[in-house]
Amino acid sequence: MKSDDPITNLVSAFARLPGIGERTASRLAFYVLNEPDSLADDIAEALMAVKDQVNLCERCCNLTQAETCSICRAPDRDHSTICVVANAQDLRAIENTGEFDGAYHVLHGVISPLEGVGPDDIHMSELLERLQSADANGGTEVQEVIVATSPSVDGEATSLYLSKAIKPLDIRISRIASGVPIGSELEYTDKSTLSRALSERREL
Amino acid sequence: MLLDALRCRRFRNLESVDIEPHRRFNILHGANGQGKTNLLEAIYLLSAVHSFRNHTNAQMVQFGRDSATLEARVDRGGHERIVRIEISSGGKQVYLNNSIVRQLSDFFGTVNVVMFGPQDLSILKGSPSERREFVDDAIFNAQPAYATEQQHYDEVLKQRNALLKEPDPDRALLDVYGEQLVQYGADIIMRRLDFIEHFSPVLDRTFRRIFDPDFSASVRYDMKWSSKLQGIERYQEVSVSRAEIEQDLESGLEATSGTERERGYTLIGPHRDDLDARLDGRPVGTFGSQGQNRAFILAMKIAVITYLEERYHFAPILLLDDVSSELDRQRNRQLFDFLRQRDDGQVFITTTHRDFIHLDEDLKVFEVDDGKVIDA
Ligand SMILES: [Zn+2]
Repeated sequence: MKSDDPITNLVSAFARLPGIGERTASRLAFYVLNEPDSLADDIAEALMAVKDQVNLCERCCNLTQAETCSICRAPDRDHSTICVVANAQDLRAIENTGEFDGAYHVLHGVISPLEGVGPDDIHMSELLERLQSADANGGTEVQEVIVATSPSVDGEATSLYLSKAIKPLDIRISRIASGVPIGSELEYTDKSTLSRALSERREL
Repeated sequence: MLLDALRCRRFRNLESVDIEPHRRFNILHGANGQGKTNLLEAIYLLSAVHSFRNHTNAQMVQFGRDSATLEARVDRGGHERIVRIEISSGGKQVYLNNSIVRQLSDFFGTVNVVMFGPQDLSILKGSPSERREFVDDAIFNAQPAYATEQQHYDEVLKQRNALLKEPDPDRALLDVYGEQLVQYGADIIMRRLDFIEHFSPVLDRTFRRIFDPDFSASVRYDMKWSSKLQGIERYQEVSVSRAEIEQDLESGLEATSGTERERGYTLIGPHRDDLDARLDGRPVGTFGSQGQNRAFILAMKIAVITYLEERYHFAPILLLDDVSSELDRQRNRQLFDFLRQRDDGQVFITTTHRDFIHLDEDLKVFEVDDGKVIDA
């Protein structure tokens, strides 16, 4: 609900962000209010730009400013191996380990009937297309899929569902090893644990 | 397991409480509504991080205040720890030795309590969920990982039920949740079977010793849905493997797949199971007298303590909420005989009448009056 008071509106807008409660939201709002105009301008501009200029890579659904992302365009990466992640933060976490030189596929979510998210609501069909035709994967045939959704219940369900869909395609499919503590988010998993989980993946 | 010091701030009607409990018996004495049970609730919270009275976070904070703090110094086998919980309407934050606890699974097991209050006296006649809770609390006390397993099972169950409510559920996804339900469900059933196998003989021994040497008391795990192993009888008598349970769950899901689609929820699994309590072979909830029922429950609670002591070598803190007024004179005596005979073990007892409490040494009495607790 919108109020007539711009401060109230800003507080409730901040409070909609994850991890920000009412109190922090109001601290942020008053901070912005008391700083010079340039801060508000910069934030507003950056916020608009991120929605305007960032779109999904047409191949892997990663966030990009171009049609395809820099990873999909990189000639020295192994495009026959695709690591499937739930979101762009997880992609970044795996990139930061420096242990993976294949391509990615970003689902932008995990399956959750409770939240009304079914298999068609995450970018699975794009992935299946890439697996079925080399054309949809920039000309390289896919040899292996590594599912790196988090080991939470929803991440596991998504992984199981994917493996059922991929099995008939006769492509090797593996799951990152369970070194990652159950229920934790990949984003917050330390680098060495994540590298080990990748290298010790098991076939599904 | 010892609670050396307890501090409550703005918790329900307890504005400011600092006590140093006795290592054995602590009697919380006062009229009704003064805050005795709130004190037990505080100790329980420091163990389980939720209220046994189903209070919301906001209800736990003193009226008109933003937050409540509970803090305790606990000693387990000479190992001292500071446990703190900050409660506000927005949630709870747990601290262990002044560091934030990010995963509750890392915290559970730090403080062990067994609670016995008037609400427990009806569990044999109540719904199966009350008996499952008895089993689960006992397991959870010694095996904190069980909390995570239960949470996983619960999540799968909710997802699966949400899917079953859809007009045209995705078949493959239903299979996925079926597989997960079998996996996580088997985890829970294995733990419960293991507990009951070890617990039932302790219960029998306890009942015969305290109440009547001529009666046999037993509990069995009841899975009515289990077709192939025919439920309780075989599960009790032969040791079953995890694979058999998984198979049983799988065929159970298959057999009920039509009905669950119609009703929109999962019909079989550990969330529907029960504890079958028997006195001389007869279900005590339905056939036992009220006196037998209460004796049986009292024996169950005492047996849980004995079970934890014998199998895991620690004595949980016992919280007794005004049970003496609910037990007849003889059973009340029997309860205190048991408590006095133990070598060790810390106990907190609330009461309105000091005469109910048959203890005269190793104790401290705290007077509870209008939210104030005074070392009397
Ligand atoms: Zn891309």
